[in-house]
Amino acid sequence: MAVNILVVDDSAVMRSMIQKTLTLSGLQIGEIHQAGNGREGLAALESKWIDLVIVDINMPVMNGEEMIAQMRTRSETKETPTIVVSTEGSQTRIDRLQRFGVRFIHKPFSPESIRDVVKEMLGSEVFNDRSR
Amino acid sequence: MTEAADGRLAEVTIDTLEKLAFLFASPMDAPAEVDERAFSTVRVDFGGALSGGMELSLSGPVLAELAANMLGAMEGEALTADEQQDALKELANVICGNVLPELGGHEAEFNIQTPYPVPANRPQWNAPAAACHLLLENGLCRVRVRLQDGAMPVPAGAGPDAQR
Repeated sequence: MAVNILVVDDSAVMRSMIQKTLTLSGLQIGEIHQAGNGREGLAALESKWIDLVIVDINMPVMNGEEMIAQMRTRSETKETPTIVVSTEGSQTRIDRLQRFGVRFIHKPFSPESIRDVVKEMLGSEVFNDRSR
Repeated sequence: MTEAADGRLAEVTIDTLEKLAFLFASPMDAPAEVDERAFSTVRVDFGGALSGGMELSLSGPVLAELAANMLGAMEGEALTADEQQDALKELANVICGNVLPELGGHEAEFNIQTPYPVPANRPQWNAPAAACHLLLENGLCRVRVRLQDGAMPVPAGAGPDAQR
């Protein structure tokens, strides 16, 4: 099964780093879509089939916390696997996010941390044989 | 300015440079004189438990190296000025996001704005709340944090709630 991914981050460099990390992880990727803020991310979720959302917190227009809150109110996306990749250091805010059922990866991240969390969320069957 | 705050800022910056861009840095004393034109600088403003700004400056050659490493550029591949600026902004964003809990506490919430470039001839921050200078193989890195209203940071583990 190939996984369709949405990466939401206001930094094009960070979106590129995450995309490269996912590609090298052995994950079977269908399509990778990108958005620069939460509002663009919600629009992408309305028009595309997405299996995994990777989202930053601090973004202009709509931040990641607002985006995830809105995702969880919509029947189509309320259970979409979501990983927050952020510099967020406030345990209060991290706890609040985790109540939405998201996983949290701290920036700067290692490639292994993203691979391991994706594997825990989606299972090893979405990875190429050598990466399982 | 406190030595503890400066130390935390240096630790976070060194760790971020290494993990994000494979750049290795070590602390150095502040140079006696600095030509601001030799640096590329971005500023990131923040609010919440602490309000203020952070400036990150890299001397010329380091910026290209930073962007190439972050983007995984092939040897000889030229990156655009926009790509280099974006890499610098993201580095500032990550350093700022990691240092604020060190200065304001790990339960505190902060709102970090989008980093933006600032010109060399801007008014300088003469008494930052925290500052560090780092030596890299091909240049210098400088980070300064300014807090509004003269607030002083209390590094995590150094305040009254610190574990003894």
